[in-house]
Amino acid sequence: MRRPFIILAVMLFAALFAGIAIDYTERQSLRPLAANYVKRVPQELGAPNIITGILLTYRGFDTLGEVAVLFMVAAGVGLVLGERSLPRRDDVPAEPEEIIPSTELVQNGAAVLFPLISIFAAYIIMNGHLSAGGGFQGGAIIASGVMLLLLARPEYRIDHGFLGTTESLAGVLFVLAGIAGLIFAGGFLDSRMLPLGQFGAFFSAGAIPIISVLLGVKVGCELSVIIDRFRG
Amino acid sequence: MAELIGSILILLGAIFLFSAGLGLLRMPDVFTRLQAGTKASTLGNMLVLSGVAFYHPGWSLKLLIVIYFVLLTNPISSHALARAAHAIGVPMTRATVTDALRDARETDRSAR
Repeated sequence: MRRPFIILAVMLFAALFAGIAIDYTERQSLRPLAANYVKRVPQELGAPNIITGILLTYRGFDTLGEVAVLFMVAAGVGLVLGERSLPRRDDVPAEPEEIIPSTELVQNGAAVLFPLISIFAAYIIMNGHLSAGGGFQGGAIIASGVMLLLLARPEYRIDHGFLGTTESLAGVLFVLAGIAGLIFAGGFLDSRMLPLGQFGAFFSAGAIPIISVLLGVKVGCELSVIIDRFRG
Repeated sequence: MAELIGSILILLGAIFLFSAGLGLLRMPDVFTRLQAGTKASTLGNMLVLSGVAFYHPGWSLKLLIVIYFVLLTNPISSHALARAAHAIGVPMTRATVTDALRDARETDRSAR
């Protein structure tokens, strides 16, 4: 009885997507808004990666809001899942959970992979203004490396104080960079407060790389804390 | 000639990747699915990537790094998944007759 329905659903999806795929024609020209950004970002900001230019300068305030949302998530998860150390009401000492150690294979694999993942994350963050990537993506990669470490060494305890301090520091510096943009350039988080430099060079595009690094550190710390909270 | 070799390698890789997908669908339990998925997709990935290397010799070093990464991560993650599934007692299919990990654990326990 189920099989005909499944086949019917698959056929319907196929018809739907076929309609979309057949009707799709690639736009030959950019929309006016996109054309505007494509022209302005390399000229005004000196960043080959247009998306990073938009996200970190024209929509810098938006990005600050996104980071704030992520911070709320981390705080909420901590509030819900982080109350493990409270004393039990019935004064029974909590039995230590039996932790199954991970195998040598996983531990050695993590030891080899963690540096690679960290280097990749640093590359993604530092080249945010040149190629695909940026602070958010790089921070997520850092957190994936931390997750691997937690899988390989379940007994390892993350220092939440250190992560929290680092994250807060990055957040404060992010806002300060925004205010510096207000003072020295055209608006909040305006990356033109630093010299643009040579187009396409590693040190270029004004303050975008610095803002990227701050974002990467902040997102990496937040996601690491969230992952550690879920360990339970 | 190089393009022909590359095409054949990519086709072979695609066949292995297809068999990995087929294995995921058709195998009866977690462990056999993991086995089918891991082995076939590791080999399929490597074949496709080396096929691409024949098309673009300039990318060879990068592709080699990607293959190294696949070789490093794919088996280890499957290994960890299989151990985890075994630890929480995911049932095996009835056709499986040996459980070397359980036997090893038991001899461990009796030795202690």
